[in-house]
Amino acid sequence: MNLPVIEIRNLKSAYGDQLVLQEVNLQIPANEITAILGTSGCGKTTLLKHMIGLLKPLEGEIQILGKSILELDENELNDVLKKAGVLFQSGALLNSISLADNIAIPLEQHTNLSKDMIEFIIKQKLELVGLSHAYHYLPGELSGGMRKRAALARAIALDPVILFADEPGAGLDPVTAASLDQLLLSLKEKLGMTLVMVTHETASIKRIADRIIYLGKNRVLFSGTLREALESDIPALITFFNSDSSQKSKA
Amino acid sequence: MPREIIKIPSALGFSNVEEVRHQITKLISAESPQEFILDFAEVESIDTAGVALIDYLNEFAPRFGTEITLTNVSKKISSAMDVFHLKKVFTPEKKEPPGFFEKTGDLFYKLKNSVGDILILLSNITYWSGLSIVRPKLRRKGEVIHQSILIGVNAFPIIALIAFLIGFILALQSAAQLRQFGANIYVADLVAIAMVSEMGPLITAIMVAGRSGSAIAAEIATMVVTEEIDALKVMGIDPAPYLVVPKVMAMSLVMPMLTIFANFIGIIGGMVIAITYLDLDILPFFNEVMSVLRYKELVTSIVKSLTFAFIIAVTAAYFGQKVKGGAEGVGKSTTSAVVFSIFFVIVADSILGLLFYFGETTF
Ligand SMILES: Nc1ncnc2c1ncn2[C@@H]1O[C@H](COP(=O)(O)OP(=O)(O)OP(=O)(O)O)[C@@H](O)[C@H]1O
Ligand SMILES: [Mg+2]
Repeated sequence: MNLPVIEIRNLKSAYGDQLVLQEVNLQIPANEITAILGTSGCGKTTLLKHMIGLLKPLEGEIQILGKSILELDENELNDVLKKAGVLFQSGALLNSISLADNIAIPLEQHTNLSKDMIEFIIKQKLELVGLSHAYHYLPGELSGGMRKRAALARAIALDPVILFADEPGAGLDPVTAASLDQLLLSLKEKLGMTLVMVTHETASIKRIADRIIYLGKNRVLFSGTLREALESDIPALITFFNSDSSQKSKA
Repeated sequence: MPREIIKIPSALGFSNVEEVRHQITKLISAESPQEFILDFAEVESIDTAGVALIDYLNEFAPRFGTEITLTNVSKKISSAMDVFHLKKVFTPEKKEPPGFFEKTGDLFYKLKNSVGDILILLSNITYWSGLSIVRPKLRRKGEVIHQSILIGVNAFPIIALIAFLIGFILALQSAAQLRQFGANIYVADLVAIAMVSEMGPLITAIMVAGRSGSAIAAEIATMVVTEEIDALKVMGIDPAPYLVVPKVMAMSLVMPMLTIFANFIGIIGGMVIAITYLDLDILPFFNEVMSVLRYKELVTSIVKSLTFAFIIAVTAAYFGQKVKGGAEGVGKSTTSAVVFSIFFVIVADSILGLLFYFGETTF
């Protein structure tokens, strides 16, 4: 196992009175693809939002790239987040501006590149996700899957060290899903990115995931390599891997 | 000159790409060589920006009749470059099933801590408004003007109609009484003072709260629900200056104008009664209006409209970002935004009314 880039110790999290996660301990190793699995509503998105400091836990400690993010002030946290790209479950593109302007945001915010160069980076990223024709489109003019891909383009605009992706493959047809997997894989292999993704797509997990974290009953029920997960005798995991991915996936 | 060669530094990326680009474009535009060679012998790493530079040069150079060539590209670098050009694997133009609505969660509001939250938001907005005047980079381009048009221009017709009717009714209600005492001319005083120091600012605020306060709350609430606010935070952008400040500024710009306009139209409404029912002429009516309106009434009108503008924008932003649940929650927070901003406006109106009343001597 590579050195961990993210470490979570004894995390406890709730919305108001509703407990979502407790006793969560996990490590995410560098340069691997870690898939977070679990039934709908079990707290995957919540866990992801803790990792990037958007939610504050009741208890516990969270380290990214060696920094305890709960102890950082806003500016220090922003410096850490510069190295992270985030693809939100709903895409989270700003709806009032074009795709190109959306992708320009992190570039304008964190670099001193000129307009020309930013334009070329935007084109490059849109091409990468197969949306070069949609440069001037507003997010509202895209389909759900296209929006997800555009959001991915924005998330990887700055070559993040860690890419967090909440259901990147949801709503994609099998062909496009396969090319998405190929893209994610090459981000890891050729650029050395660490990927943390929430996903329900068993086919895609089997193709690209190195590690599995399975959430259930407000806890981490399983954490280990893909092979260990496939051989595990935990009933929930067996059901998960034996059911058809196309039925499990949410549009 | 037939060819030119340049050594690319060992790491080509975000930090130095502009420098390298300047160097190369300067050479190309000055000398227009037939071939321009980028020597990658020393390059050990390349990132998004580095690859974008090559794309850029491939488009830039042909304009000067120059061809770009890469030499000594290591395996590692070329495979990294491939990652940025995976275009062939995605088949463009594809239709996928539409996205889904986020599941709806709890739909009730807990208003405890509200006052504290509002104060924080208020101080945030004041801070950022000040800062963004000094540092224009913090503002979204053209956003204030865009918002002003949304809030202001489209509101003119409806505000004109309502103001006219209010002035009309004010005059009508008092006409009978005034007539008994033969005090017909005082209808001008009554309508002018009531419109300018009270009704004008108030009805404008109520209309704007209904039209634009709700729109602002809905926009921000939708952005919370679709995780856009989270995305902004993660990209290092503070949502307050980015979203709320332009709206507060636009509101403060537009509300006084709308109010003055409403005052004017309201007085016209009163004049119609004065002429038709109280047998006054236009000129005496207006002379009376001008003589009764002093500095103080106008200041009251403007101060009130600015205060209301601030209250509406901040309340709308507050309820917008407090949204719970999905699409349904957006509706709820929009409603709360309108109800509470009208409530706060009326409270503020009473307070300001008292202040101006007892502060009489200062004017
Ligand atoms: N903003 C919120 N306020 C209150 N409760 C919330 C909020 N967001 C999520 N929850 C609750 O927390 C629990 C975990 O939600 P979360 O979004 O993390 O689930 P998830 O595992 O990502 O589900 P899915 O696979 O459907 O996306 C759910 O029961 C949900 O009702
Ligand atoms: Mg989720």
